Amino acid sequence: MDILTSLLSGFAVAVTPLNLALAVFGCFAGTLIGALPGLGPVNGVAILIPVAFAMNLEPSSALIMLSCIYYGCMYGGRISSIMLNIPGDEPAIMTTLDGYPMARQGQAAKALGISAVASFVGATFATLGLTFFAPLLAKAAIHFGPADYFALYVMAFATIGGVTGVNPFKTLLAAMIGLLLASVGLDPGTGTARFTFGSFHLYDGFDPIVAIVGLFAVSEIIMYFESHAVAGTGPAKLGRVLPKLREVFEGFTASIRGAVIGFICGVLPGAGASLGAFVSYSTEKQISDKHGTFGTGDPRGIAAPEAGNNAASGGALIPMLTLGVPGSGTTAVMLALLVSLNIQPGPLLFERQPDLVWGLIAALYLANVVLLVLNIPMVGLFTRLLSLPQWLLMPIVVMVSFIGIYSISHSTFDLFVMIGFGLLGYALRKFDISLVPVVLGLLLGADMENNLRRALSISGGDFSILLQSPIALVIYGFTALMLAFSFGIAMRRRPAVLDK
Amino acid sequence: MIDRIAGAVIFMISAAAFWVARDYEASFGDPLGPAIFPQMVAAAAAILSIGLILRPDPNPKAQPLHAFIRQAMTLGVLIGYVLLLEPLGFPLSTMIGTTCLALLFGAERIKAGLTGIAVGISLYLIFDTVLGLPLPLAPARFG
Repeated sequence: MDILTSLLSGFAVAVTPLNLALAVFGCFAGTLIGALPGLGPVNGVAILIPVAFAMNLEPSSALIMLSCIYYGCMYGGRISSIMLNIPGDEPAIMTTLDGYPMARQGQAAKALGISAVASFVGATFATLGLTFFAPLLAKAAIHFGPADYFALYVMAFATIGGVTGVNPFKTLLAAMIGLLLASVGLDPGTGTARFTFGSFHLYDGFDPIVAIVGLFAVSEIIMYFESHAVAGTGPAKLGRVLPKLREVFEGFTASIRGAVIGFICGVLPGAGASLGAFVSYSTEKQISDKHGTFGTGDPRGIAAPEAGNNAASGGALIPMLTLGVPGSGTTAVMLALLVSLNIQPGPLLFERQPDLVWGLIAALYLANVVLLVLNIPMVGLFTRLLSLPQWLLMPIVVMVSFIGIYSISHSTFDLFVMIGFGLLGYALRKFDISLVPVVLGLLLGADMENNLRRALSISGGDFSILLQSPIALVIYGFTALMLAFSFGIAMRRRPAVLDK
Repeated sequence: MIDRIAGAVIFMISAAAFWVARDYEASFGDPLGPAIFPQMVAAAAAILSIGLILRPDPNPKAQPLHAFIRQAMTLGVLIGYVLLLEPLGFPLSTMIGTTCLALLFGAERIKAGLTGIAVGISLYLIFDTVLGLPLPLAPARFG
């Protein structure tokens, strides 16, 4: 009951004209960003954060706009998967498997319709989960002490690469690089200048937003020349725009299964939407693929991964809001936004800023409806935009990111830092080192250190305090399990490769 | 091989960070002080980079030369743009920057020029006039 009253007051925040307009704009921009290959949700949200600053938005309005962009991206990613066989963003990869074959058979409208409904099911399920599950988690998390938070951060870094199967050494290394970068600047406890090399510009440390736009957007531009040399297979014809109502609900049960699986994947730390889509698709294939139709345009093969990735992205908001520990790349970027607005996510957020949290949740319900409208009747608009040439798009992306960063501090030093991070991001990508742990380290480093120092000043310097709380022990146990699992997968998959 | 080089570089950076951090002094009531956490992280990074040296992944595919040249030129345009932003003012430097980038991304010359002019003017209007974000308009006076 408590939750329902909170939600109602959230709707009061969300339906103010400004917030409603921002939500609609966010949904539109997000669908577009998601649909355009090469511009994923992380990039989209990162580039638009400085714009949100420039507009002097209230924190709740800024968060509403960016969350709608985030949800929109997840809807939009499927459009180019289905039409071009190029995933608009990473989680939409699984949608190419059945979506593109169905579009090639002249049923593009049907594929887009099924996936839009599945996205709606997934995202709505996740938003319901957020509504009921997040306050519970926040209540439990109030009992966390500094040692428990330290354990939580350790878990976040140890599991962020999770079960994705990339070299776990590299993922952990990426987190350490981020944590080291985070310690640049004046130490808040003592005022000691750390790793600043005498430069006053570095006393405040690296602004996470500058670093994020550099790491993702600038490196994407540089990467573009080598990753996009491959020619596409040509777009499928859309044919009729509106699918028949009956067709759209094919695979409805598959999308419900996908939503549940995706949501669980999203809430788990470090898994994110890609894993949600992957697990949903492979589970659905095992359950339903009796006649070997998966991969040839089976509606269930479109519905399951789309519901999965949308549910996972909603689920990933839960640890970000309640614990301050993001569950995916994009939520990490949104955490950076909150921190820059002087809002500390965590269990107290629900008590101290109910307007912000419930306004956001209510806005997400509205966003889902808006997105469903944008993505079924108006989908033709987005498919036409897919033919925008890259030479037009990429320079605009670059310029918007540069103005955005410049507008934060009006210093060209920040722009050079951003280019520097762009080069770092390019190098890391080249080495197959994931960027998300770097961002997470940069964002959470200060808090992780503070909690460690607070715990040790309680115990007078005795490190055993870290292992005394049962909550921390449970978290470490889970971390060890996840680590063992991911190293196990990595070792089995790749027996030591030696250079010849 | 390239992973081993990266591992060695990261190892050296973390060893240096560990060494630099040893001078940071603790204050009263803060038993850990500003040095220990960076040193813990640096030590972990060093150990992990040894792991990278011992178990490298296969080399990534090198990009073709023409892609590399374009990448270097793009980087040059970005740096040049930042250098010129304040001296030339926003609209002019953005027109030049956008035109160069459009050319690098494969636009025809006339289209690139038109894109540059359109983007330079419209972004200035959107950000400076509509969003109220002061951007340097005219070329700054030299001397």
